[in-house]
Amino acid sequence: MRKRIGIFVCHCGINIAGVVKVPELVARVKAIPDVVSALDYVYCCSDPGQKLIKETIKEKKLDGVVVACCSPSLHETTFRKAASEAGLNPYLCEIANIREQCSWVTSDRDEATEKAEGIVRTIVAKVREDQALERLKVPMLKRALVVGAGIAGIQAALDIANAGYEVVLVEKEPSIGGHMAQLSETFPTLDCSQCILTPKTVEAGHHPKIKLLTYAEVAEVSGFIGNFRVKIRQKPRYVDIDACTGCGICLEKCPVRVDSGFDRNLTKRRAIYRLFPQAVPNKVVIDAKNCRQLQGKKCGVCARVCPAQAIRYEDKERFLDEEVGAIVLATGYELFDISKVGSYGFGQVPDVIDGLGFERILSASGPFAGEVRRPSDGRVPKRVVFVQCAGSRDANQGVPYCSKICCMYTAKHALLYKHRVHDGEAIICYIDVRTPGKGFEEFYRRVTDEGVKYLRGKVSKIFRRNDKVVVWAADTLAGKKIEIEADMVVLATAVVPNPRGVELARKLKIAVDANGFQTEAHPKLRPVETLTAGFFLAGCGQGPKDIPETVAQASGAAAKVLAMFGTSELYHEPVIAEVDEEICVGCGNCERTCAYEAVKVDKRKGKAMVQAVMCEGCGACSVSCPAGAINLKNFVKKALMEMVDA
Amino acid sequence: MKYPYYPGCTLYSKAKNLDRCARKAAALLDVELEELPSWNCCGAIYNTNIDDLAAQVGPVRNLAKASQLGEKLVTLCAACYNVLKRAGGHLNATGFEEERKRILEFVDERYERDVRVMHYLEVLKEVGFEKIKQRVKKPLNGLKVASYYGCLMTRPKEVLQFDDPENPIMMDDLMATLGAEPVRFDFKAECCGGYLVVNRRDVAQACSMRIIENAKTWGAEAVVTTCPLCQYNLESAQSAKLPADKRMAILYFTQVLGLALGLGEDELGFEDNKLDPKPFLKEKGLL
Repeated sequence: MRKRIGIFVCHCGINIAGVVKVPELVARVKAIPDVVSALDYVYCCSDPGQKLIKETIKEKKLDGVVVACCSPSLHETTFRKAASEAGLNPYLCEIANIREQCSWVTSDRDEATEKAEGIVRTIVAKVREDQALERLKVPMLKRALVVGAGIAGIQAALDIANAGYEVVLVEKEPSIGGHMAQLSETFPTLDCSQCILTPKTVEAGHHPKIKLLTYAEVAEVSGFIGNFRVKIRQKPRYVDIDACTGCGICLEKCPVRVDSGFDRNLTKRRAIYRLFPQAVPNKVVIDAKNCRQLQGKKCGVCARVCPAQAIRYEDKERFLDEEVGAIVLATGYELFDISKVGSYGFGQVPDVIDGLGFERILSASGPFAGEVRRPSDGRVPKRVVFVQCAGSRDANQGVPYCSKICCMYTAKHALLYKHRVHDGEAIICYIDVRTPGKGFEEFYRRVTDEGVKYLRGKVSKIFRRNDKVVVWAADTLAGKKIEIEADMVVLATAVVPNPRGVELARKLKIAVDANGFQTEAHPKLRPVETLTAGFFLAGCGQGPKDIPETVAQASGAAAKVLAMFGTSELYHEPVIAEVDEEICVGCGNCERTCAYEAVKVDKRKGKAMVQAVMCEGCGACSVSCPAGAINLKNFVKKALMEMVDA
Repeated sequence: MKYPYYPGCTLYSKAKNLDRCARKAAALLDVELEELPSWNCCGAIYNTNIDDLAAQVGPVRNLAKASQLGEKLVTLCAACYNVLKRAGGHLNATGFEEERKRILEFVDERYERDVRVMHYLEVLKEVGFEKIKQRVKKPLNGLKVASYYGCLMTRPKEVLQFDDPENPIMMDDLMATLGAEPVRFDFKAECCGGYLVVNRRDVAQACSMRIIENAKTWGAEAVVTTCPLCQYNLESAQSAKLPADKRMAILYFTQVLGLALGLGEDELGFEDNKLDPKPFLKEKGLL
């Protein structure tokens, strides 16, 4: 029981004092039993304000402090630190929120003053029952896991590894680089995507501190910040990765041809394949679904021709265990399945392709070695229509949000098309052109100056007329319905989170928003952290973004990991659940309730046990306990009842 | 299985063949269509204004009658399907309670329960395409057919919930079930011109010809429809615009169904098709 409680009422300029009658409030709360001091100050969070608190604690020998001010999410840390500097246990300093919960939402001055008094009384009742607590020390493993090796994952892994810490980099595809490896040139500078990416993939592939696991996926994560145990599923590659030299003889001899997903189904690959010639690691993989030998038919050609004898038809799925302290999710994006928009004819009408498909056509390693040709007959298209917002900004048929990168890559597509087909006509149908980025507006100007036509209006239908693709659209500036007969149509398809990333986030209980994008801890101030300690976000899994933004966010996530690794120990808030084993009957309600898997019933003892560092102090278990055996520290049931009574 | 059935006016006059083939095919599939007693015109397109309450009374009366027979009402004409289903949808819309009361005051029949308005195709789906496949006597091998749904079958999608509003496939699947080769095309759900044929024949013909040309581009040899007006427009536009040897057969889907299930030539009502499909079907070896 605290007997010498001090109260500090903050004016917050006029934020509080403009509504709450501060002198009257001070006079009233001074009369609360066990309160030995009640003072007010214009800005308690300022240096002189904190000084006042510290001096009063010492002078009046306070054993509990209530600061009546703004929300605890803003200045609880400030005042607890001040209390601690004055020799008081920080957990005996509490905030009474009389701004957000009172002065900002109450207009009548008398009512506000009365309400503020009630709030302060409640918190005084809590402080009376508060215990001095110590932060929990958590040991930390200084080793990171990065999930996904697109440009985001590669950058995060390199930053962490270059600081001297080990990184496990897991990629589900057979080689790293992600979607950036599919791109031709990048806006607005038109650097060759492969050329700027491959130095990074090579560095990541050979870094002594990076353990690269390709064709692998995270199966399970247990543990908590600083101490994660990760189970990784290594998919069978059917090729000995150490023996394979990447010579490529098997790629020529394999008799099976299937659509190449990397080339957006515009070319064929073999059943044994690598994604692209500069792949890191430069090792082949067998696609079991299409391999004749693995489907039980007679073949075995690759094994016969392999000079390194690296083929392993008997390869099986394996599981690897890793221990890490921090996890970066860089799970990336996919394109929205635009065939769901029936009127656009994608996948049906020939020569209607998506943005990544056009990237492959523009790419020197693509289906036509960089020449712009139509997939259906290989002819050079003389008129190309680019359709923006194909699925984006369309809550009816697609996704409600703006995919952010399409305006710029469409402008780039049209420009590159004009560079390669000089007499060709490029028409962009758009709703709005959005160019908020360094050099973006200038690039857009350049594109229009070089003769690309912009038509403002949504495309309603795309269909076939003999060997042409017809686009129906509106020109909303001229107020006309228009029909364009084109040779090829490129859809700027919406960006959606990679479904495997969404699945993983759900499994790890990382929040995802309505569209499946992983949710950051705070939209403005904590953009690379998640609400689960130890998990960080990078790249398009968190939201659509371009390459520079992705790289910046990845470095941000890496910096957060390094800041964590830079301290020798982690601390965990001590406001956690505590089981009274005398009362607990081991019913397991708490275990089922806990969202953090922090409470488990010990089978041997038949009692619930709290894994302290995993407990986030939400209190759900305490409410669910029929016997009342679980209490949250400093929120014990007795204190809560007294708070209600106060 | 027994279903209350609403044929509609056109199926008693211009589109007898659509109706008769449907009834005979249903019998072959052990489906009993029980005609709604003393039904009235659905109101055709006139009830699409939700605040025109008088126009809702007609379709709602049919629904009220059906509600005394059961929970479902089967329609065949695309327009009747659209009108009746939308009238039912309006009746149940939130914020429409006052209007609902007023409409029902004008309907003598008791409105016992909400009725699910179904299209005949949906009944076939309930019967099961697998079962239909087993009953096929004359597989329509080699028949390249474009399934044309028109604008009334799929939209508004929130109310009709029939299939993908822009790229429906239910009728295509039925055609495949019957052994035909369904041809996808881009104008499955575009308007044929509808009633514009009355006062703007040129516009209606342009709409219809777009559909015909696109179906040809994709390799179709015939078009199947669900709607008497679509049927009329697609046939008459071709008669006006194309020489006789370039015209495509336009068939009701129930005629095609009946043909595959083994109905005789005299039962399929081809004499009522404006463009005689018999030579074409003979050429394909189906008659």
